[in-house]
Amino acid sequence: MLTNSRMGTLARPSVATDTTGALASGADRTGKIAHPTRRDGIFWIVAATLCWSAAASAADPLHVQIDKLIAAQTPDFDKLAAPIAGDEEFLRRITLDLTGMIPNVRQAREFLADTVVDKRVKLIDRLLASPEHARHMQREFDVMLMRRLPATHVPVAEWDKFLRDSFAQNKPWDQLVREILAADGSDPAQRGPARFYLARNGDLHEITRDVGKLFLGTNLECAQCHDHPQVEEWKQEHYYGLAAFFVRSFVHTDKDKKVTLAEKAEGEVSFESVFEIRDKKSKGPKTSGLKLFSAATISEPKFAAPPEAYTVAPNDKDKAVRPVPKFSRRAKFAEFIASVENRRFCRSTANRLWSMMMGRGIVHPLEMDHALNPPSHPLLLALLTEELAAREMNVRDFLRELALTQTYQRSSQRLAAVPNQPEPAESTFAVAPLKPLTPAQFAWAMLVATDELDLQRRAQGDKFSEDTFLAGTEQRFVQLFGGEPGRPPDSFASTADQVLFLANDPLVLNLLKPRGDNLAERLLKLPADNPVAVAEDLFLSTLTRRPTLDEVKDVTSYLSGKAGDPRSQAVQELIWAAISSSEFRFNH
Amino acid sequence: MRCTYACGSESHLSRRSFLEGAATGALSLAGFAGMTQVRAAEELASKQKQVVVFDLHGGVSQLETWDPKPNTDNGGPFEAIPTSVPGVYISELLPHSAKIMHHLALVRGVNTKEDDHGKGSYIMHTGHRQTPGFEYPYLGPAFSTLLTPAGSPLPGYIKVASGGNPREASFLGPRHAPVAIAGDKPPANLGLPDGVDAESDKRRREMRAKIGQRFVQGRRQAMTEAYNSSFDQAAALIARKDIFDFNTIPDAEQERYGKHDFGKHTLMARKLLENGITFVQVQHSNYDTHSENFNFHIEQLGEFDRTFATFVTDLADRGMLKHTLIIVLSEFGRTPKINHLQGRDHWSKAWSVAVGGCGIKGGAVVGKTNENGTAVIDREVNGGHLFHTYYRAVGLDPTKAFYHEGRPFHKADPATGPITEILA
Repeated sequence: MLTNSRMGTLARPSVATDTTGALASGADRTGKIAHPTRRDGIFWIVAATLCWSAAASAADPLHVQIDKLIAAQTPDFDKLAAPIAGDEEFLRRITLDLTGMIPNVRQAREFLADTVVDKRVKLIDRLLASPEHARHMQREFDVMLMRRLPATHVPVAEWDKFLRDSFAQNKPWDQLVREILAADGSDPAQRGPARFYLARNGDLHEITRDVGKLFLGTNLECAQCHDHPQVEEWKQEHYYGLAAFFVRSFVHTDKDKKVTLAEKAEGEVSFESVFEIRDKKSKGPKTSGLKLFSAATISEPKFAAPPEAYTVAPNDKDKAVRPVPKFSRRAKFAEFIASVENRRFCRSTANRLWSMMMGRGIVHPLEMDHALNPPSHPLLLALLTEELAAREMNVRDFLRELALTQTYQRSSQRLAAVPNQPEPAESTFAVAPLKPLTPAQFAWAMLVATDELDLQRRAQGDKFSEDTFLAGTEQRFVQLFGGEPGRPPDSFASTADQVLFLANDPLVLNLLKPRGDNLAERLLKLPADNPVAVAEDLFLSTLTRRPTLDEVKDVTSYLSGKAGDPRSQAVQELIWAAISSSEFRFNH
Repeated sequence: MRCTYACGSESHLSRRSFLEGAATGALSLAGFAGMTQVRAAEELASKQKQVVVFDLHGGVSQLETWDPKPNTDNGGPFEAIPTSVPGVYISELLPHSAKIMHHLALVRGVNTKEDDHGKGSYIMHTGHRQTPGFEYPYLGPAFSTLLTPAGSPLPGYIKVASGGNPREASFLGPRHAPVAIAGDKPPANLGLPDGVDAESDKRRREMRAKIGQRFVQGRRQAMTEAYNSSFDQAAALIARKDIFDFNTIPDAEQERYGKHDFGKHTLMARKLLENGITFVQVQHSNYDTHSENFNFHIEQLGEFDRTFATFVTDLADRGMLKHTLIIVLSEFGRTPKINHLQGRDHWSKAWSVAVGGCGIKGGAVVGKTNENGTAVIDREVNGGHLFHTYYRAVGLDPTKAFYHEGRPFHKADPATGPITEILA
């Protein structure tokens, strides 16, 4: 939390977009070390000062400060901004974002009828505390962290359980990441998180690249072979400073065929620019110690002779012996990277969580955090970084603040757009974006809308397991709709085979057939002379909103004069029209 | 200052123009599907370059096909026979192909230095050695992206009877991922389900459109337009589902191609190309002859040869050869030395690829292996050279990289260049 004791008093604020040296020492220009352990306190101080000048007060709750900073960044923001979304739009969005599902018709009716003033806050709190939230987070972060890599050495179920349990207990994000980065699979209780390294087969470059992208907001892939050609501040030595943490790790199989990640006590990275080799300018291979960008090299304990460097020494004659070094570079990495002291980590996490809720990063793309690609809202990102750290990386608490903002709760629809006024850029966050449903969300939304989920739950009683039930359905959606995981929505693409699936596949069409009090059955039971009720239930169940007058008319004429089978057929067509509509396809 | 990576790059533009094409709503049922089939085919024939790949899976022997070494230690039992091109000899196991050699060019100096099936195949289909962090798009998705006319309702890349992995498309996206068809069967879900007739399908789509029209008022439309346009594409595809209907092919045609699976698949490939599919791949399996190499090659090539020659002849007769590039590849060749099981093992150091049709100089032969076939002694090439050549053959510039997340993905290894000797 912000406190006055940590407010800086710069006379003339200047914006420091320090991205290379996010770990550089935080020499406070006021001469006062606000928080000596926070190495880049300057960020915070500058930010806080500017917050002040932007009329956002530290006394305001975080979500209010966020809204003020969003508005302050864009001239005429109030004229551009969409109004706050109505209850229907808000309910659908928040339920999808926090639980990965749409609300069912009963939840929708209940929320819309509720007259309590702070019902949105209550809803946010209820959703965040639900088991569905943990499951949704598990799925989102699984795709983000593992890119749908196949199971190698560790069953996916163990990894999933680790993630779900972690989110269910709202484990601080730095702790969760530390557990992943520290897990080598040797502890039977920590096999799940070891999937991170083991599914990557301990590959040095795959790991180096992915930790850079996932935890530091930097896509250093280009720098594996040479300095980054477009991003001047990303050097080849930065890539190898990271790689040095993993260069001694390798996949090991012991005599019981147990596969773990092991580590040696020797071995260094070696690199040479391919451009310099080509131009005959290379002075030969270089090496690097443990180093995060331009920060100082981390010192390592020195051991007199090789055997002393090991707790368990490697045995050349028996490769089944798993060596254990006294100093683990990889363990050092876990502790060093996943820490609130590492502002680059906090910043990329804040940006990522923001992007999950708001549909786009403040730094965008998420992995391109460098000086030539500045944040759309520098002060806001600085504030969020500090707040996330101050809140000890409490993810649920952070998401709650984001959900409470007007920025989040704005409509995706601009009303009465001023003629000739261009649509505000997405980076202004003045209008809520359309976010394509993820394959999992799409599958869930269909099962909820058609009431298949409740139907199965009733039919199977105690034996019902959502995971088992879903496995098949979700898998089909992932195969068909799962483009590149972890990509922002501007990569949305829709193909004919996806549509053929939606239009004609038995999996989808069976959901529409009337049975066991599902949506179709319920609609058919409504009196034929009351199409208004049909339209109301249909739209609330599928699109989480009441139909417009025109839509009621459409439904009425669609059903008019139909009874028996033709009526049943028409009802199924209406449900299909709703769940295949673009309104259903996007989280809006 | 804003970062400018990827701006103006080809991949960026093609994505954008795809979305713009969709956003204008130019593609509707009145677009492609409205044309008569013949006119559509003519239209395509006049502009569109197409590609067909024959993947001789498992590693075909160069010595029993394009680069025979009769009467040497490693030559095996078969003779070399003259072809329609004076002075060019190929294995006697390819008598029909010999007659159409003037349509083909042979690359006899291939050295891909990779004897693993998966990695060798990767080189042949991407032009690059596997590199961690670089998921190169395969040739099919790349050419689908670059050659398929904007707004075409048809898939750009169809694999006949050999499965399709969406990862082949890499960052080019699902629009260009392979659509797999099981030989003589259409893709999934092309037919309307029971209880839905054309009329009710139209009705439900209209209702769908109405809901969508209200939704987009005042909202950003790029993505909803893309979504809606894929519904139009699907409808157009359904309207043209006859192109997957194997039953319309007369029996006599099937006889000419051979009534085995490879014959059927090749005939399907011809039908798909005739109907404007950009990139078609047919697999013939399996050439991994670690034992009994000669017997297996008699059998396998017995199927391949007549079917392939019939196919090339048909394309030539129909005027399709001038705009269709044909590539006959494998993941590597086979060891010149014959092992104790009368087999040949994996050999990537000196083997051959055949190409023909669009942009290729018929009858050309480039590259040479030594007397007993163990090494390339003239004009050695690898996957990079081959990819430069494929791109040039269809009139594309391989030196313009794809860009993805700011990084260049070279279409063909910049350290290599095209095999100009075989380019027309």
